[in-house]
Amino acid sequence: MAIPPGSYTLGPADGTLTVRTGKAGAAAKAGHNLVIEVTRWEAALEVGAGGGGSSVALTADARSLAVRSGSGGMGSLGDEEKASIAQSIDDDVLKGGTIAFRSSAVVEAPGGLRVQGDLDLLGATRPVAFDLDAGDDGRLTGSIRFKQSDWGIKPFSALFGTLKVADEVEVDVDAKLPVE
Amino acid sequence: MVELDHSFSTGKPTDYNWDAILDLDRLIPCVQGGKVVERTSPTAAKAEIKVKMGAMSMTFAGTVEVVEQDDAAHRALLKVKSREVGGQGHANADVAIDLNDGGGTIHTAAQITGKAASMGEGVVVSVLDGLIKDFTQRLGQI
Repeated sequence: MAIPPGSYTLGPADGTLTVRTGKAGAAAKAGHNLVIEVTRWEAALEVGAGGGGSSVALTADARSLAVRSGSGGMGSLGDEEKASIAQSIDDDVLKGGTIAFRSSAVVEAPGGLRVQGDLDLLGATRPVAFDLDAGDDGRLTGSIRFKQSDWGIKPFSALFGTLKVADEVEVDVDAKLPVE
Repeated sequence: MVELDHSFSTGKPTDYNWDAILDLDRLIPCVQGGKVVERTSPTAAKAEIKVKMGAMSMTFAGTVEVVEQDDAAHRALLKVKSREVGGQGHANADVAIDLNDGGGTIHTAAQITGKAASMGEGVVVSVLDGLIKDFTQRLGQI
């Protein structure tokens, strides 16, 4: 459905912003595919009639990532391991840097909006595009995949470089449009 | 059995390197995650190594002993015997170190069993290769 025109502010109370990572390297078998939730974020959505004048902006706190689950690795991830991964994200990867998206062009698309814009990750800005789909129940979903290295981020590696987080990550947003 | 060959350079005189590799208190911490638990003789020590795999880790505990030592040729053979802590695996190795001017060569013959080995020989070789390369770089700093 088309998103009703209006101004919306969304955050963790309205849905989830999730990062999914894979694994790479000779010892990839030992590592886990991770589902990581960004627990502090805010998005502003302006929707004009017929999609005109629409914009999307999002900021996220790089120190608010929490590991929700891990699959496919050697042994299961307990709370201690999940906390350790979050610590590594803070200390070695994101280091509390900027995470911000601002749209440059938004057009109406079947079932929602087609969004183009700039994603600033840790001070490097690159263009990205994604569809923001709106369900009949006001549910908004969107997903982008990108390579960390395109933003100058070196994927985390361990075990003498034989176990790495895959360069490509997926970021999903799944939120319910707040009732005005 | 996995066999690996490496060379290293420390930029230091052979006599200095010889003393360093025979001093297990200095040598064992050159292995990432390695530490001496107890010296049991001038040529032997109880030791353990914690191998970090991101958030997960495996610890092996056992002994390191200099079993052959040729002072004239600057050649030594170290025997490592260890067991996975809390697991069924073993990690044993014969490490032959042969010094030449300013560095040397290391021949490692390792036998790994249990969970670590279950990842496949290719993975074991890659990880051991990384571990020993890292070790040779640290040797240059002792």
